[in-house]
Amino acid sequence: MNVRAPHVLSRALLYAAVVVVVGTLFFPVYWMFNTSLAPQDQLYVYPPKFIHPNATFAAYAKIFRERPIARWLANSFVVVVLTCGFSLAISVLAGYSLSRFRVRGAGGLGYLMLASRMLPTTLLVIPLFVFMSSLKLIDSLWSVVIANVTFILPFATWMLKGYFDSIPRELEEAAYIDGTSRLGALIRVTLPLAAPGVAATMLYSAILAWDEYLFARTFLNTTSAWTITVGLGSFRGEYITFWNEVMAASLVGTLPIIVIFLLLEKQLVGGLTAGAVK
Amino acid sequence: MSTSDQALQPAARAAGWLRSLRGPAAFAYLLLAPAVLTLAVVVLYPVMTAVDISFRRVEIYSPSTARGPLTLANYVRLFEAPAFWQATRVSIAYVIISISFALLIGFGTALLLNHRFRGRTLARTLAVLPWAVPPVVAVNVWWWILDPSYGLLNWILLQLGVIAQPVNWITQTGPALASVSLVTIWKGYPFFTVMLLAGLQAIPQDLYDAVAVDGAGRVGTFRHITLPALRGVLSLATLLSVLWVFREFTIIWVLTGGGPIRATETLAIMTYREAFANFRMGFAAAIGMVTLVISIVASIFFIRQAGKEFY
Repeated sequence: MNVRAPHVLSRALLYAAVVVVVGTLFFPVYWMFNTSLAPQDQLYVYPPKFIHPNATFAAYAKIFRERPIARWLANSFVVVVLTCGFSLAISVLAGYSLSRFRVRGAGGLGYLMLASRMLPTTLLVIPLFVFMSSLKLIDSLWSVVIANVTFILPFATWMLKGYFDSIPRELEEAAYIDGTSRLGALIRVTLPLAAPGVAATMLYSAILAWDEYLFARTFLNTTSAWTITVGLGSFRGEYITFWNEVMAASLVGTLPIIVIFLLLEKQLVGGLTAGAVK
Repeated sequence: MSTSDQALQPAARAAGWLRSLRGPAAFAYLLLAPAVLTLAVVVLYPVMTAVDISFRRVEIYSPSTARGPLTLANYVRLFEAPAFWQATRVSIAYVIISISFALLIGFGTALLLNHRFRGRTLARTLAVLPWAVPPVVAVNVWWWILDPSYGLLNWILLQLGVIAQPVNWITQTGPALASVSLVTIWKGYPFFTVMLLAGLQAIPQDLYDAVAVDGAGRVGTFRHITLPALRGVLSLATLLSVLWVFREFTIIWVLTGGGPIRATETLAIMTYREAFANFRMGFAAAIGMVTLVISIVASIFFIRQAGKEFY
């Protein structure tokens, strides 16, 4: 419904509504940033300050000094790269196959995708924990990588199928006539065209893997083995809460996501709705 | 004669299938094989193990321990436990509260951001950003906003005169459920926004032009064009969101841990607590299986109701 508001007044109302609504919904992110810059003596005061005149980055320096934040970020980075690398390599093939060939058994895959969203993660984590223990993978980042594949792989496959669907198959058929093999056509003709879709899928998968908490919390016990989300979840339950430090650490843990999200800006709608809207 | 024909049919079908393995079908299966094998190892086998554990008397399970006989003890104990029915009630309340508000906010923002205006892309990005914020971070931020002594929410409500005393949001039973729902709504509405924006863009402009000629007003257009066109997207978005909220772990676990006195303990939280805090894995697996069955039954019912509008 792309309505062109005719009057100056309704334009102004539209802008006012957008500013109020988006401003309110985005406010918690601003509040995290604002508090992270607060000097220690400004934390426990009423009324709260919406802008700090004596803003300081001291909290950032302190969290990097006192907690292994850099280590947690590095661990998360390793987990994300391995999870996405492995999942994408497999899901590109599967997504292409589902998009191009109607083989027996593939039709039920849509329902299988839905079924995978019904499986309670807190149930799946029980046998996974048992296996990780017996494979001596507790405290190893591999345990989290393997567990993340359980939800990244179906997600990426489904999203990539949607992207392949949007690439005309005539191009491959032309390549066949020229004598290119099926695999050759996939690698040299289709994949280059699908590159933006593969990149978007990679970024979405990276967000999901970065945000993961349950598996990492269960499989990684030693503080130095934690990912950033486990570290950020550990502030609850400490005796005194220095809000500027909690917010600074939280913002540091969110920055990579914000960067990815801005990269995705143009494909925002395409990614989340993959396979859902025709 | 005819019986032997029938007996031959499966064999003939199998032979046909084998023949089809040469050519494109073989290539198709070959490409699918790594994904299918991986999921069989990391999802299917663990799920089968979980089913098995749920029928055994096991505390801390390991593949080397001798398994006892199959038993229904975990399920019997489960249905007799008041904590299970409490967790079921909490799950239902949590899902209904979170989804209805997330849907309303998501629908509102989608309609608003579908207008053409300068800066629309930025507005959309900012509005949808909470989807990507790590759940743990969302909890930390709201934990600070909900802080009873110096949090922003109490300050605003005190200024407006809505409350006379600061509310202990996270440590009182009623407010605690509202708090976890609040964080869930903030994380969950962008999915509705994005899905409905995509749905709105798929509605052809001709339809609007046609009803404009007929002299339909805004409300009429919304009721007769927009809403019916969005039905499929809305159903799918609602189903996926319900399944997500029903399984949600991180938001509740980090914010309240399921407390106070189990006021925010959903079935997902109860499963985890029994397995990893009380070390009763057989019992925990039984709760998880019941959760899974509820999800499947509810989804089938929902899909029947919503019609065959997706897949």
